[in-house]
Amino acid sequence: MTQSVLQFDNVTLRYGRLTALDSVSLSVPKGAIYGFLGPNGAGKTSAIRCAMGLIRPRSGRISIGGSDVVRQRRRALASVGAIIENPALFPNLTGRENLEVTRQMLNTAKARLDEVLEIVDMTAQAHRRVGQYSLGMRQRIGLARALLTRPELLILDEPTNGLDPAGIRDMRELIRDLPERTGATIFMSSHLLSEVEHIATHVGLLQNGHVLFDGSLKALAEEQQARLIIEAGPAEQAAPVIEAFAPGQWVCDGERYTLTGQFPRAPQAIAALNTALVEAGCAVSALHLEEADLESTFLTLTRPDSSGKAVAA
Amino acid sequence: MIRILLAEALKLRRSLVLLVAATPPVMVFLLGMLIVASGEGPSEWTMLTISGAAVWAFFLMPMSAIGLTALMAQLEHGPGTWTHTLGLPVPRWQVFLAKAILALLLMAAVSLAVALASWAAPMAGMLVPGSVAVMGDYDPGLAWRLYSQILMSGLLVIAIQWTLAMRFRSFAVPVSAGIGGTFVAVAATSADKGIYFPWLMPVNVMASDPARTEFVIKTGLIGGVIVFALAILWLSRKDWR
Repeated sequence: MTQSVLQFDNVTLRYGRLTALDSVSLSVPKGAIYGFLGPNGAGKTSAIRCAMGLIRPRSGRISIGGSDVVRQRRRALASVGAIIENPALFPNLTGRENLEVTRQMLNTAKARLDEVLEIVDMTAQAHRRVGQYSLGMRQRIGLARALLTRPELLILDEPTNGLDPAGIRDMRELIRDLPERTGATIFMSSHLLSEVEHIATHVGLLQNGHVLFDGSLKALAEEQQARLIIEAGPAEQAAPVIEAFAPGQWVCDGERYTLTGQFPRAPQAIAALNTALVEAGCAVSALHLEEADLESTFLTLTRPDSSGKAVAA
Repeated sequence: MIRILLAEALKLRRSLVLLVAATPPVMVFLLGMLIVASGEGPSEWTMLTISGAAVWAFFLMPMSAIGLTALMAQLEHGPGTWTHTLGLPVPRWQVFLAKAILALLLMAAVSLAVALASWAAPMAGMLVPGSVAVMGDYDPGLAWRLYSQILMSGLLVIAIQWTLAMRFRSFAVPVSAGIGGTFVAVAATSADKGIYFPWLMPVNVMASDPARTEFVIKTGLIGGVIVFALAILWLSRKDWR
């Protein structure tokens, strides 16, 4: 059995009436680069705040390295480095002084400052005030700070947010190399699959506080399914025909219907659907079968469910 | 705990906190020097010492408490570093205790600087041609007693300001509370019940009735310790969204 570094077990978090996390369960295996994906507002940062012990969930358990984050907070967080939301640094201090603040608090060796600055390639700029840094440089210092304690788990919340394309590429390469250079497991949130699909070994998909998928990238690839795209209207005539063709397997966006999961894919069956739509009085402007890639699988899983039908994997 | 205190002190480097801390003694020095140089103010050391302490207790001390605590808290609120600071594997209560100790040390340092400025100002003023000589001898014991009592009785105000500053992301809340408290103190300076109002406690150190002085010192000190303790406990247990 694969050892789990970070584990969520049925975690529920509420802000008043809003359920931010609803029975979230996921597991981050040791040595993985785990892409924690979901649209903005899905609950990713709330989940990370819970994992860092900043918010106590209403129910459920989060453990890091086997230690409960709520009951054994210090022990659980001792092996964690994190950047949450943005690289929050003290702008009046230099990059090195920012690291020194954390080093003092954690009582790590002074020589470690140079090591982490070297890892993020910020040695030359470390004497400058953070207020003069670009966002990319701040991210690097934030990453250096997270690496100070030689963490077993590195939590990065949207680490490429706001960076220009070159900065995104540099950060991605830096993150990709981290497990090998530091031995850390990486838990990295993003709202873009494209940001993590080239470096992640595992992914978790979150939407509206629900986990839609948790597993290896390979397993997600196996979830990839062909989609049948239909553009037909009016809805009163088209929807019943499509429902009869593939009960509960479709979502609609205006007059665009997307069928996933179990539906007849034979050319004859699709031709028969076309005939049925025309005979029902529909104007059919498009009808084609698409082989889904990872991006479209992600979009399908996280698309707002306009028909009320289940689309989760 | 010492490491956390040092880390908290490092956060102040090149910040506006130190500028704000330097303002009250500079103000007291300039004002005191001008008064003596003009020859129109008190010309006796005891009166100068008491009036300097009164300005500190009545106005500058509460204002310094507002400014210093709000700016210290904004060092974390501003860039959003609470998530980092409180996500570290150190006891949260120690983080807040270090911040409280640092705020008190800063207030004590500013008190000392103001006391020194209130002595240095007349000395400098007497060097100006046309000024009057200050009569009598400077009594360092009186200054020490007044400023230390003001600090002790002001502990409750400092604790309230600190708590509000740490709790609320916007500095508007602690600043409004502080200005409101100081305004009420100005409006109700001579009220009998003034000794129960935190912002009037430091002023009442100079009351002619020794019982009032003793009451505000005890209440300010004990109340301040209680508020600090409860605030540290609460802040270290609350959720940080």
